[in-house]
Order: sequence, then C-alpha cells, then structure tokens
Amino acid sequence: MHVVIINGSPRVQKYSNTEKIISAFTKGLSEKGVTFETYAISERKTWDDIRDAYIKNEEILIALPLYVECVPGLLLEFLETLPRKDAHTRLSFLLQSGFSEGCQLRCGEAFLEKLPEYLDVRYGGCLVKGDNFGIRVLDEEKQAQATKPYQAMGELFAEGDGFLREEAKKFTGPEYLSLPMRLMMGLVFKTLAKKMFQKVAASWGCSVPLDEKVWETSRKGL
Amino acid sequence: MVFMIDTTEKKIGEVIAEELLRNGKNAAEFELIDTAGMHISHCIGCNYCWLKTPGVCAIHDDYEPILRKMSGADQVWLVSDTHFGFVSWRTKNIVDRVMPLATMYLKIKDGQMRHVMRYDHQPDFGIIYTGDGDQAYLERWCQRTALNFGSRSLGVFSESEGKEAVLCML
Repeated sequence: MHVVIINGSPRVQKYSNTEKIISAFTKGLSEKGVTFETYAISERKTWDDIRDAYIKNEEILIALPLYVECVPGLLLEFLETLPRKDAHTRLSFLLQSGFSEGCQLRCGEAFLEKLPEYLDVRYGGCLVKGDNFGIRVLDEEKQAQATKPYQAMGELFAEGDGFLREEAKKFTGPEYLSLPMRLMMGLVFKTLAKKMFQKVAASWGCSVPLDEKVWETSRKGL
Repeated sequence: MVFMIDTTEKKIGEVIAEELLRNGKNAAEFELIDTAGMHISHCIGCNYCWLKTPGVCAIHDDYEPILRKMSGADQVWLVSDTHFGFVSWRTKNIVDRVMPLATMYLKIKDGQMRHVMRYDHQPDFGIIYTGDGDQAYLERWCQRTALNFGSRSLGVFSESEGKEAVLCML
C-alpha cells in the first residue's frame, strides 16, 4: 500500500498540531511496511503537486483540524480544485480538534462522510479525536508522548480497512464527559487552566489580560 | 441591527435588501456588505488573537471592519454560494476568522466545553444560499456554529426562500 497524506491545516507546518499527529501516524505505517508521501495545503505554491498526487494515487488520507464545526476555509478552497475520480480511489480522513469530547467533532465528520460522494470516490472512514490543542506548546518529548496513540492508528490503517473498523471508532474516547469530570473540568478552567494559558501568553510576549475587551476599551478612549 | 455578508457571485444580497425595504425595514436598521473586491484571507490558525494580542487578529486585511459589525449585530446573515452542499470557502473563511470574539478561556456549558466569549453581546446566525445546498446539513452546521457563540440559529433558506428569510429579519 502507498498512501498520499495531505495535511489540511492552514497553519504553517512547523507549528501544526496536525503535522505532529501525521508524524506519529506515519511511524505506524512504516512499522507495517506501508509507504507514503506527505503534503501540506498551507503551502499554496504546492497545490498543483498535491492535486497531481491525488489524481495519480488511489489511497488518499486528509488529516485536518476542525475549524468552526467543519473543514477550514483554505482546505475547502483546495478541495474545490480537485477533479472527480472513480471508486478505485479511497478517501479517508483524520479529524482532530481542541475540545476533547467526541460530540464536538460530529458535525465536521458528517461533512467528511459525504464529501467522497461529491468527488466520486470511495469513503474510507474518519478517525475522530479531540484534546489536541496543547500539542503545539509542549516540548518535543511531551509532544511525542501526546501523539504516540496515533502510531497505533497508523498500524491499523496499514491493515487495509481505512478507519472503518471498530478500533478506529473507539479511538475517539468519550462522546460526552461524565458529570464528575465536567464538575472537575469546570473548576480547573476557572483556576489552573487560566493560569496556564496566561503563562503561555506571557511567553508569547502578551502583557494584557486574555479576556480584554479590545473594542469597548478603545471606544471608551474616543 | 441586521448584518448581511454576501459572498455570492450573483450578489443575491441586493435582492434580499430590496425585499427588506419593501417590507418596511428602515435602511438604518440593516447593512449589506458585498465582499467582492475585498481582500479577506483565510484564518491561519496562529492563535495570536487568543494568546499574543487577545481580541486582535494578526492578519491586517479588509476583515476587521466586518468582524466589528458582526460583533455588534443582532443578526448575522451569511449569504453564500454552495459547494459540496456546504457554504463556499469564501463564506467559511469569514466564519473561521471570528476567533477574536472568543477568548482562550474555557467553560462547561450545557454539558459541553465552550470558549468564554470576549464580549457580552452575541449575534444570532442565519444562512441564505444559492445552488445545490444540503439543507439538513447547513441547518445542523448553523445551529452548531451559533451554539459556540451561545446564540441561536435564525434558520437556513435557499435563494428561492429569500422572502421567508426576510420575515425573520423584520
């Protein structure tokens, strides 16, 4: 098997969480002797090459972050440039997001389920997983830890059934957080998480409150 | 205030605006923006609007005035062409870039994680579309998008149902 993997994130590859996930996933592919080539739509100048690879290959995987409940605008723009193919081509997806619950990604997944029909290709399933926002701000070792589970999904994909098997569906984790977990998370969001976000912001050079009302403040100054 | 953002090639927002006036809507109570000729980038996911310059987008193009109007509006109507049954990439880019209206902070609302919004007032969202839109999916997406704002969906209307959409704006 040879897989064309397209990173559908608009973020530059260096800081792309999706890229880190692809990196772990492809380790799993390699373990099983599957070859692959990777592309990123954030590099607009490579769109012709990506389209060529899509046309010439039959096993395509698009990995993408959820943007406002669906596909990022930039990826939509690229998808509109793809020609129709036939059922020899299989199109699978890896959809990731910041929010952790499975329910947060279902609207995006529903779009991806139907997309192959519009392109006249076969659907190979969609691997759905949240809780990935922080990958970018972790050090290299912790990034490897956080993305390691995707390696097993690469190995599963290499077995030839895309993401249509039960193991891929279970990978999502809880659809909703349990009540005790929600109560705990609610408390963490009000305390520790705020401090952690402020710390990250400070390291990025931010010196104002993260919830600053920019426009109301500026209106007061008028 | 009703705010319509028209990205359609046929500029169907103009027809909706005329219908609004015919129905007695005061011209001061609504605004139509046609994005043709405007430079509006896609969101690049840099997270600066959450973590570096909270509330301010790092991309300096024609988008900020649109976002300000969205933030202050009671109703935001996305007037869009459709592709793959969904809104066009032009409209999706406009929606993807609303992130400065949310903060990095999180909360649990109605059993799900949500971002804490930056401002107290949130607009409701509606869609008017041309072409072969997937009505059921667009309704689902519009509801989910509004849920993220803590607001509500105004509904999804095909171009031929423009008069019904106008009734929701009065």
